Amino acid sequence: MYRIRIHGRGGQGIKMASRVLGTALFRSGFTVQDAPKYGAERRGAPIFSTVRAAREAAEGATIKERGVIHRPDLVVIADDTLLAVPAAGTLQGITAATVVLVNSRETAATWRHRLNLAATLLILPATEEARDRAELPHIGATCAGAAACLLGVIEPAALQAAIEEELAPLGKEVVATNSDSALAAFDAMAAHRGLVTEGTAVSATDYIPPSWVELPVDDASVAAPDIRAIANSVQVRTGLWRTLRPVIDYDLCGKCWWVCSSLCPDSAIAVEQDIPVIDYDHCKGCMICVGVCPPHAIGSVPEYLAQQQEQQAKSPGEHDGRDPADR
Amino acid sequence: MAATLLTGNVAAAWGARLARVDYIPAFPITPQTEIIETLGGWLDGGDMEGRMVTLESEHSMLTAAGAAAATGVRVFSATSSQGLLHAMEMIYTVAGWRAPFVLVNVSRGLSAPITLEADHNDVLAARDSGFLQIHCADCQEVVDGILMAYRLAEDPTVRLPVMVNLDGFYLSFTREPVNLPDPAAASEFLPPFDPGMIRFAASAPASQAVAVLGGSPYSYFRYETHLAAQRAVTVYSGIAAEFRARFGRDRGVVEAYRCDDAEVVFYMIGSFATKAREAVDRLRDAGHRVGLLRPRLLRPYPADIIADALQGVQGVAVIDQNLSMGQGGVLHTELCAALYGRPQAPVVLASFIGGLGGREIAPEEFYQMAAVTREAVATGRTPPPRLLYTEDELREIRKLQSIALVERDETSPIRERQQHTGGRDEA
Amino acid sequence: MSDIIRRMKDLPSTHLLGTGTPMCSGCGALEALHQIYDVLGEKTVFVNAAGCMTLLSAYPFTPFRGSWLYTAMASAPAGAQGVRDALDILLQQGRLPSADDLQVVVLTGDGSAYGMGMSATSGALDRDLDFIYICYDNEGYGNTGQQYSSATPHGAATATSRGSRGYPGYKKDLFSIWAAHRPSYVATVIGSEPLDLAKKIEKARDMKGPRMIIALSPCPTGWDYDPRDSVEIGKLAVKTGVWPLKEYVNGQVVHTRIPRERPPVQDYLRRQGRFSHLFQAGQEPSLVDDIQQRVDDYWKEVV
Repeated sequence: MYRIRIHGRGGQGIKMASRVLGTALFRSGFTVQDAPKYGAERRGAPIFSTVRAAREAAEGATIKERGVIHRPDLVVIADDTLLAVPAAGTLQGITAATVVLVNSRETAATWRHRLNLAATLLILPATEEARDRAELPHIGATCAGAAACLLGVIEPAALQAAIEEELAPLGKEVVATNSDSALAAFDAMAAHRGLVTEGTAVSATDYIPPSWVELPVDDASVAAPDIRAIANSVQVRTGLWRTLRPVIDYDLCGKCWWVCSSLCPDSAIAVEQDIPVIDYDHCKGCMICVGVCPPHAIGSVPEYLAQQQEQQAKSPGEHDGRDPADR
Repeated sequence: MAATLLTGNVAAAWGARLARVDYIPAFPITPQTEIIETLGGWLDGGDMEGRMVTLESEHSMLTAAGAAAATGVRVFSATSSQGLLHAMEMIYTVAGWRAPFVLVNVSRGLSAPITLEADHNDVLAARDSGFLQIHCADCQEVVDGILMAYRLAEDPTVRLPVMVNLDGFYLSFTREPVNLPDPAAASEFLPPFDPGMIRFAASAPASQAVAVLGGSPYSYFRYETHLAAQRAVTVYSGIAAEFRARFGRDRGVVEAYRCDDAEVVFYMIGSFATKAREAVDRLRDAGHRVGLLRPRLLRPYPADIIADALQGVQGVAVIDQNLSMGQGGVLHTELCAALYGRPQAPVVLASFIGGLGGREIAPEEFYQMAAVTREAVATGRTPPPRLLYTEDELREIRKLQSIALVERDETSPIRERQQHTGGRDEA
Repeated sequence: MSDIIRRMKDLPSTHLLGTGTPMCSGCGALEALHQIYDVLGEKTVFVNAAGCMTLLSAYPFTPFRGSWLYTAMASAPAGAQGVRDALDILLQQGRLPSADDLQVVVLTGDGSAYGMGMSATSGALDRDLDFIYICYDNEGYGNTGQQYSSATPHGAATATSRGSRGYPGYKKDLFSIWAAHRPSYVATVIGSEPLDLAKKIEKARDMKGPRMIIALSPCPTGWDYDPRDSVEIGKLAVKTGVWPLKEYVNGQVVHTRIPRERPPVQDYLRRQGRFSHLFQAGQEPSLVDDIQQRVDDYWKEVV
């Protein structure tokens, strides 16, 4: 059975990617189970989806395994900024047999160096200069197309048919552009066609028994779902949701802090001696401040560019992480 | 018809569509909402006849559902978790009306703490209400179960509402291949609702669901509901036989998977039972005689059929995805009651609580539950109930507690602000 | 407390509500709440009903410096009754110093306020409960994916009104329903008008009895627009007259902002995906006209 996990952000079409891939596999004679994994949907927040596919003869009509995939054969990461977000769990359960496909502007060598994984790591080159990563054009379809090729069991026609089936309600134009993106990604992976291998089930003879514990009888002051800390949500770095970054040009700032600071929904603009300061650990990148600033002193920069610039500012002379041979 | 990939929620909507329901009182609640959205889309697009109305609460939704059923139309509704509990007064009430309709429950753990993912405490809270209960393990069973549920509810010898249960997330948002019955075949299997005497009409005045004074008439009406529910085991068996003959799928009162020569059997309900099936296959590969017994029909409780299926089995690992506070697993309790005093009953009924609030049950845990039960059979000593909870999980909760329970240690910005503004607030 | 807020510069510059909440980027409800919290302060207990804001306090994190109690969708005002009564008992018995008393604040969405929770709210008003009720109104059941509620405006597309004419009903006049109970105070507010909001919350804070606030909450996710437009859409709701800013005190309804020159409502509607079908080719203009007519009729009564 193939076990595939696709990671991205809310709004990037990650559920669509798993559905396209699931439908393409289904059309190619596999029995399929696909599911998105999310709580309350939040744009920009990390989400993932799963696809399981087995040859029907081996599995029967429906797949018996359910839930999160703990030992993936293929992991697709639609947005490389997620690799820095521990809560996204992109690399969970990866082994030497896993293929990891990262949508990135950087090279495979760079990511291999950074992540030091045993797995096979491939790059899906991010070609389009998206202004906002939450709106990466057709990234769901692109991921599905690349994954289809890596599995090696889906013909382009089945991929195209799956996109038509899943996106038909959105109109012909959407189908056509997504279809193009998917097929281009499929072709881009041609050198690696069929690289992903099917994993096996956990053996019942040779397994590590679960380390079950007896729950202690805790005092109710500990064992009730109460929070006695105050405002500790600041420990949650919602700045990681951001795909666009608002930047204040202090030369233009009119010090009318009550505008941006009051209107920021997230309390993420502090006022220090009458000067507004954006808290990038928590700013979600909604860009309200950009729109409301009376002297237009707040501009917007794609987050990945801002991070690159920060990186360069920190270590100007250092290797920028790119491998010249891969360029 | 060829199979298509459907989520459990869309499968549920298809069940209602194929049942040609007249009326859908609705109220959104995660993870059920996609059912009413799908039906609403079909109604808006003219793909199906019928009328949907969103009430302001589940209590009102169930009231409208029961009232419409009592007026003689085919009613479908759906809820989940807190919604089911919010409607609980009406769950008991409309069952007492003997109003037949189908309610889908998408299982989700109960508050507090409030959560979104699946367990069975919601649906089991309704077990004593008079609603019959069909439990599904996959998306195909959801469509099939709804069609069968209407047959069961509308059977003149039963005439009770039926709940069809599917797990949130693991079925509700998960796509699997589903063979949708052909509409013509579905309507042959489930003919139009013949309400008979169930109606309000100027020409046929009736007072329904009236009060009683005193315990004697009360006892009569309540026990009659119980007898009707009990009768539903036989009626269901007949419907399942007909369903199998027509559609080729076994939807019997229980699923007995590789139980025939089994020494140890997993006993559970819901979608995690397919994980148990997988574990059974792997354990069989490893040479262990293990099976799975899963009641589809949980109300009425098919005690005799369960006892028959467990004849010759040595040990049962009962997996409860629910918890009766101060007692333990509901399925375990009921199985003990059903088997007590029967000759040749299994000697060990081991209790495992697992999958609360959607917590996964790993393959290794199934293997270990089988091993623990086998060991108990060998020693003749039933192990104490076991919560499936690992050292890692306990460590993780301790970490969260250290965040949640940290003492208040910072200065209030209000106080700072007051100092900053020269104590203006002290006036 | 008595810091009087008269102009923008008087608005608090330190924000009490913690960052790091799971609310959507650009959330108009969070924008209102963080402003409200700055005025009400940390000596508050928020009694919450099921809705988007339920996720504000999710173990082990909370953005609040004060207290919080989640109840259920239908009964937050009844929860507030219990908390208020218990505080009063403790105060009376001398078991709670008056400095430890709390302002009891119900926080619910429109699904609860306009629908399931209305009975419990009416009961609390009958009993003259000393509490503040904050309804963040994003005009639909937002936390489940924006199905229509009885706060949904006429013609809006929601997950359960996707036909060419959108939601057939009309937004319920919750302000008047609440005012008909003759509580101490009722007000409408919006986060995009922070000064108006702060003045009203300050007024409510210093009163006793039931004080009822409805905050229209532009919702990028449910109304379908870019998160950066939340403030502009909020301002347009006020300018076009769709969301009248007003208050009910001492039996009188007073408008705190009367838009003399109202731009057409379509300026507001066109900015939101949920109304886009109203402007598609082939759609009869009657729906937009109908919406405009109702707004015009409203203001004819006022001025």
